[in-house]
Amino acid sequence: MGKEIIQIKDLKVYYPIRSGFWNRITDYVRAVDGVNFSINEGETYGLIGESGSGKSTTGKAIVGIEKVTGGQIMYKGVDITKASNRKKLNYNKDVQMIFQDSMSSMNPRKRIEDIIAEPIRNFENLTTDQERDRVQELLDIVGMPSDAIYKYPHEFSGGQRQRIGVARAVATNPKLIIADEPTSALDLSVQAQVLNFMKHIQQQYNIAYLFISHDLGVVKHMSENLAIMHRGRLVELGSRDEIYKHPMHIYTKRLLSAIPQVDVANREAHKAERERVEHEFLENQSKWYDADGRVFPLQEVTPNHLVALPEGGIRAAIQEEQNEKESD
Amino acid sequence: MWKTVLRRLLIMIPQLIILSMLVFLLAKMMPGDPFTGAINPNTDPKQIEALKRAAGLYDPWYIQYGRWVGNLFHGDLGTSYIQHVSVSSLIWDRAVNTFWLSLLTTIITYAIAIPLGITAGRHQDEWQDTAVQVFNYITFAIPGFVFYILGLWLFGFTLGWFPISGSVSASASGFWGVLGSRLYHMILPAILYALITTTGTVQYLRTGIVDNKVEDYVRTARSKGVPENVVFNKHILRNSLLPIAAFLGNTITGLLGGSMIIETVFSYPGMGKLFMDSIGQRDYTTLTALILIFGILTLVGNLLSDIIMSIIDPRIRIQ
Amino acid sequence: MAKKTKKQNDAVKDDQTKVSLPPSGFKVIVREIVKDKVALAAFILIVLILIFTFGGSLFLSKSSVSEINIVESYYGWGQNGHLFGTDDGGRDILNMLIMGGRNSILIGISVTVITELVGLVVGLVAGYYGGLIDSIIMRIVDFIQILPRFPIIIVLTTVLSHYNAVTLVWLIAMFGWTVTARYFRSFVLSQRERDYVLASKTSGSSDLKIMFREVLPNITSMIIIDVVLSIAGNIGVETSLSFLGYGLPPTTPSLGSLIAFANDPVNVINRPWLWLPATILLLIISLSVNYVGRALQRAGDARQREN
Repeated sequence: MGKEIIQIKDLKVYYPIRSGFWNRITDYVRAVDGVNFSINEGETYGLIGESGSGKSTTGKAIVGIEKVTGGQIMYKGVDITKASNRKKLNYNKDVQMIFQDSMSSMNPRKRIEDIIAEPIRNFENLTTDQERDRVQELLDIVGMPSDAIYKYPHEFSGGQRQRIGVARAVATNPKLIIADEPTSALDLSVQAQVLNFMKHIQQQYNIAYLFISHDLGVVKHMSENLAIMHRGRLVELGSRDEIYKHPMHIYTKRLLSAIPQVDVANREAHKAERERVEHEFLENQSKWYDADGRVFPLQEVTPNHLVALPEGGIRAAIQEEQNEKESD
Repeated sequence: MWKTVLRRLLIMIPQLIILSMLVFLLAKMMPGDPFTGAINPNTDPKQIEALKRAAGLYDPWYIQYGRWVGNLFHGDLGTSYIQHVSVSSLIWDRAVNTFWLSLLTTIITYAIAIPLGITAGRHQDEWQDTAVQVFNYITFAIPGFVFYILGLWLFGFTLGWFPISGSVSASASGFWGVLGSRLYHMILPAILYALITTTGTVQYLRTGIVDNKVEDYVRTARSKGVPENVVFNKHILRNSLLPIAAFLGNTITGLLGGSMIIETVFSYPGMGKLFMDSIGQRDYTTLTALILIFGILTLVGNLLSDIIMSIIDPRIRIQ
Repeated sequence: MAKKTKKQNDAVKDDQTKVSLPPSGFKVIVREIVKDKVALAAFILIVLILIFTFGGSLFLSKSSVSEINIVESYYGWGQNGHLFGTDDGGRDILNMLIMGGRNSILIGISVTVITELVGLVVGLVAGYYGGLIDSIIMRIVDFIQILPRFPIIIVLTTVLSHYNAVTLVWLIAMFGWTVTARYFRSFVLSQRERDYVLASKTSGSSDLKIMFREVLPNITSMIIIDVVLSIAGNIGVETSLSFLGYGLPPTTPSLGSLIAFANDPVNVINRPWLWLPATILLLIISLSVNYVGRALQRAGDARQREN
């Protein structure tokens, strides 16, 4: 693993709620409520959570299209939550995004050539010929035919469009790509294809990914390190192995148990396990979340495994783990 | 809900103030003052100037404005330079006529528009729908005054079914006689005016029904076995009709403000006709007052629409 | 994966003949008009009227049309070489019809050009930037829409000095831009949070660039439709004002002032040649332009649904 290229420090994105006669701000929707993690060069970092957890908002904040209420995002020693800093660094040349909905993220009246070339035209100074060559190169990388450049987005299937989206994101040789649920809108068979292209590109160009998804199976395939988000905060983060093998937070356990398994013989056993985990979650919810229902701050359990532990801390959690292992 | 109403009223206040200032500015642009036509032209100009100064015509603008607004609050709209009577009395008689005409027109408008809209929505893409759409297109495309001229020519002059001017016959007597005569004079302009005004409502209603027909809640009702008639009347219709009510305020003020053309064509003695007469006579006091009134009516109409909207919008009601 | 050779790239460049159509492009809209037979008929009518009015006006001079010649007054249909007779001042009705038609159409178009341009810029700015700018602009728009249009315009036509047709255009446009501004603003608002705008931002495009290069082209078909319907509406406004007597100056012929002859009952009964031709011409213009606009609107809606 390489060095850290970006650090997210105590990131907060709040949306004000207005009510009352004078339309004053009475409360906030805490979409992202104090998130800390960092991404290394060339690695894939998974960010998992259900709808409304704040993971997409985090991704958008990192790429610079969401306004940040508090905290910092440090890139090349500069806090890029400020638009002026992003401009100075030509930030988006290095940090790009793949959108979930490939149809809506492309201007329906622009040809593919112009869609892919847009970042190139903004950040690099190429001649028309050089630019066209680069676009062809990119299309090649994602396995699209050359004549795609004259077509419009509506002429392609979902999987093809998503690959074009990948080509656009890779156009300026970025160091980091935020992939916001890139395969959620695709058929299963096409998902594998797109993911493989992404992995191939990563290996060739040493690009880091922030892979945002709600699909644990996909994230397991793609990421080395990952973090799990709930209600705007991280509940657990660490290496893939640590988390899949030793989940500690009850929310993590619940998510993991929900991964569908194709194992017909042991169907009943799996179902019983899921029900047990769900039961445990509902029972212990009050313990694992503070009085306002918010997630506790992360604490280090092992060097590469942080968990949002309740009061009572590490000892109580490890004790519980042991109790579980004994009862298995 | 009262919060919304109150907030709306508060927003209206600065609008009223700016409106009054604009009208005042307009009034100042117009030539003439209280002494035009009242003074013997042979009088010594210095005396005229002294009189004007005494009347406050050389005071700074904000003092004059304040005086004018003060008068307004007392119901004093000024005195007509031309007719030498108070403007309020001039306007009042005419306002009553315009009011009744607008009321009759509104009633007829909705009486026509609602059945038409429902028919078009219910029989979407069939001949009824096409007929209504054609009707809509024609009444929308033709400029109002052309429609009235043709209507008057056909029904008033050629066929002689209706009177061609005035609000009441001079020979009418007795309560019912006068009432009948008034209605008789109003009916043709009201019908023609209404036909032109139906367009927005019909279109909106039709679109509302068409959109609601494919909503999930309708499909659910149908699959529950609810008879089609009930589905249409109870579910679709209710949701489509409510938004129409919101336009009531705007419709009324639109009628009051746009009365100039219809009253001119039919020589109907209302506010609109008064405006045209005043401009012809260069009676600027009356004109200023009328413009102010038209503006206020629009504001009130908008307020009414917003209030009705907030009442019928279930999202606000539940709060 | 091998890199493409230059030859292959050139082959693609030459393949321009297989170019595909953008959704809801201008050519597609034109094709829709041709398909709808009635719209085509309406369009041809409009062209004929334009030739009649604009072409005919080339042979006339304003002074000759409005010159008063008492000797010739009140001739009827086809009398004394006047196809549509003359009015009380001896002016030939047919000539006034040609010139008045041209004037009314020209004013309708001029007002529309101004209102569309101003409304477009204002709507784009208000819709895209939102926030304080949007609030301020919308307050102004709200207020102007409250003002009683016709009364104010009428008063101003009598009060302003050096009043002519150009002044009238500006007066009407002064109120008209608010409607188009609202219309375009609502469209921009619907597009603003769309992913492709965000994607453009991520690709490094500036706000201005996004507004004009990305959002604007999607509005083109809307603009075309609005322009057509707007022209019809503005012709109606000018003729209404002239009908009341406070539109174009009395020396400039207009369809409205011709129709105004019908205000006198004597003319209605005894001298229909004064006002009937103008009424019919205005009727045809209004119906045709509106029909074409409606047809375009239907075509536009169908396209949007397809997408």
